[in-house]
Amino acid sequence: MDSSLIALIVLSLCLGCGCWLVFLWAVKKGEFEDIERPKHRMLDDEDEP
Amino acid sequence: MTDPGTCFHCGSPILPGQLVTETGSGTTLSFCCRGCHGAYLLINGAGLAEFYRRRDWQESGVAASDFQSNLSAAYLARFVRQQAVGATVDIIIEGIRCASCVWLNEKILTGLEGVLEARVNYATGRARVRFAPERIDAGTIFSRIAQLGYRPRPYTASAAQEAAQQEQRDLLIRFGTAVFLTMQLMAYAFGLYAGYFQGIGAGMKNLLQLFSLAVTTPVIFYCGWPFFSGAWRALKNRAANMEVLIALGALASYGYSAYASFTGGEVYFETAAMIVTLILAGRLLENAAKRRASSSIELLLGLSAGEARRLTGDTLETVEAAALEVGDRIVVGAGERFPTDGRVESGMSEVDQSPATGESLPVAKGPGDPVIAGSSNLTGTLTVRCEKVAAESFIARMAHLVEEAQSRRAPIQGVADRVSALFVPLVLLAALGTLFWQAAQGLTWESALLNALAVLLIACPCALGLATPTAILAGTGAAAAAGILFRGGDILERLSRVDHAVFDKTGTLTQGVPELATIEAEPGCDPARLIALAAALEAGSRHPVGLAICAEAARRGLVVPRAERLLTVAGGGVTGRLDGERLLVGSARFLAENGVRELPRDRVYPSGALVVHLSCGERLLGTLLFKDRLREDAAEVVRYFSEQQIEGWLLSGDRQEAARQVAQAVGLTRAFGELAPAQKAERLEELRRQGGVVLMVGDGINDAPALGTADVGCAVAGGTDIAIETSDLVLVKPELGRLVLAHRLARRTMAVVRQNLAWAFLYNLIGVPLAMAGRLTPIYAACAMALSSLCVVGNSLRLLRRNDG
Repeated sequence: MDSSLIALIVLSLCLGCGCWLVFLWAVKKGEFEDIERPKHRMLDDEDEP
Repeated sequence: MTDPGTCFHCGSPILPGQLVTETGSGTTLSFCCRGCHGAYLLINGAGLAEFYRRRDWQESGVAASDFQSNLSAAYLARFVRQQAVGATVDIIIEGIRCASCVWLNEKILTGLEGVLEARVNYATGRARVRFAPERIDAGTIFSRIAQLGYRPRPYTASAAQEAAQQEQRDLLIRFGTAVFLTMQLMAYAFGLYAGYFQGIGAGMKNLLQLFSLAVTTPVIFYCGWPFFSGAWRALKNRAANMEVLIALGALASYGYSAYASFTGGEVYFETAAMIVTLILAGRLLENAAKRRASSSIELLLGLSAGEARRLTGDTLETVEAAALEVGDRIVVGAGERFPTDGRVESGMSEVDQSPATGESLPVAKGPGDPVIAGSSNLTGTLTVRCEKVAAESFIARMAHLVEEAQSRRAPIQGVADRVSALFVPLVLLAALGTLFWQAAQGLTWESALLNALAVLLIACPCALGLATPTAILAGTGAAAAAGILFRGGDILERLSRVDHAVFDKTGTLTQGVPELATIEAEPGCDPARLIALAAALEAGSRHPVGLAICAEAARRGLVVPRAERLLTVAGGGVTGRLDGERLLVGSARFLAENGVRELPRDRVYPSGALVVHLSCGERLLGTLLFKDRLREDAAEVVRYFSEQQIEGWLLSGDRQEAARQVAQAVGLTRAFGELAPAQKAERLEELRRQGGVVLMVGDGINDAPALGTADVGCAVAGGTDIAIETSDLVLVKPELGRLVLAHRLARRTMAVVRQNLAWAFLYNLIGVPLAMAGRLTPIYAACAMALSSLCVVGNSLRLLRRNDG
């Protein structure tokens, strides 16, 4: 049981690490610079081809 | 479909004689000028008429005649950055108010031939446009935005702004990392809590503790690094602030737990990690509040005379004001500001010098007269010979005074820092006392030291980091919703402690523009007729008196006849023809020069009033008196401050007599007139030396040094750029009454901060005796952490309730 618990803990750490890397990428790309506009943007483009 | 009295496009009231109509699909739309009509045609022609349905503002826009983009290509080229694919230019778009403005600009720009991508930032009103330089030039992009009725301004981020953005990213990464690791940590901690109640194998417990140690180490030493360096700086200055307490708490709990995880015992890793994470969160919140205010303030700053039109031979070119040299000739059109000090070479005009001198009425300028940088040209076009370079102009000298004043202003110590400064020595004493007392009681030094560390770890509340920022975020948020922008949390604190309120006169306590006060119609002439005739002559005038007459005519709903052959004489008045008769409106001298004889020479008018006569042919019809009226809420604001035991003063650049009259009318105790800008600042400096905490309210360039000197400088939107830039507190609408709201909010916010700190420390203080006795458990530390944080955040949110503002 101990070894399966360790495996799960390590697995959750790996998953978390993946999310963390995505977060780092998003910050570097400037995704958090304007957090107001996106919520309006989704309403806009209904007539786009 | 549309109200015939207001413009369909911009919502401004339509001045007499300026109506433009458009009939289409059965309805008639009214516009206030050709510009708005053009903008409507452009929007409608692009199939985007939906804009008018989407937009959610009802107030009128900026005067439509202001919109022309006359930026030269050479000037714009400096702002364009070449890239691998295309080129990029950053633009501040003035006039963005809602999501539909963003939508419209993006659509129109993206639709332009040659534009690859256009993104408009909703919060800051800045656009980044990527375009193919071989297919379109930057000038076309700018003029298209101007055609829409927005004002484009090229923009480059200053070094300071870029550094701030870099810091923000750095903080965000530290916070994100801390959150991710703390989440992992909490999973192990819950395993340990369960083990505490239900029993857990020693091997498993140790394993979880070691995993906890592994994830906590980077939280403390990477994410928490800014606090350690801050604490170190404070200690070097022999001061104890919040960061010292945080560093103490985090290091104590980390050290205690690391030791315990190798020797067997309870660990408090989650306390250490939570302190760091929550304080990082607090910093992010505080930064967000600050950035929101500063970007809103940036949008209020107008297109100051950063540019000038230089006349070389017969050609006009747009150059940077900084590039002007002594002896250069520049052309300043009606409605523009003078970029530098100079002397009029040709042309006649009237100049509003109130931003520079505090004089409330415009001054006539002709060849040979000096003009001051920052004052604005009202009626005619002037050619001016520069006498100073921009860097030595009046504005630049004021900016220099402001810098000096601000460098003298010491940062104040926040409540949290003051509490911590008191708390740190107490906690250290308690910890040392525990150590020695328990050692004396016969405990081993090891367990005595552990108990002493436990005292340190429980004494630093996690919610300490949230106590101030959440209250400030909520407080400034509530303020922003009411049109009050605080430049930072410390401003709220200073404003709550103010004991002197100092006001400027022109434009602050008074409207800053003349308003019709008295009508003296000659026998046989109806007052309404008098105003209608005057409005006919002044239609289209930019002169404040002309605007006041037209506004009065519109207010009374008069039908204004259309006069012909209008001729404006700067400093004199206007002549025109109506129904074959010659009409004159203007000063007594102007009328006398034009052959009107029966002027009321012997009549005495109140001082400070502007007198305008109207005549038909040679016959006098009547006299209009204009006065710079007090703002309606001025007296109310002054009364509020005196009720709060805050002494009110008036400092003005205008005549002593005028200053005294206004002070008396609103109920200020002391008034000083004829003060130069530097003297205003000196008065405040003197007040501050005597221990006063001073609030200064002003709007002009001449107020800027005083605004920078005061503990809290407050500018009103519509004032000059330099005043707005210098101030700590900006009212986005020229309503003085909001100052009362700002002061109340500041006091309420500071009360909440104090309550928050009390809550934060309360739960943890109960833990201190437990820790001294060696009976502290991780579950207690976790409960104290959660409860204090919840109380603090909940308490701060109370500030957002609007009902009792």
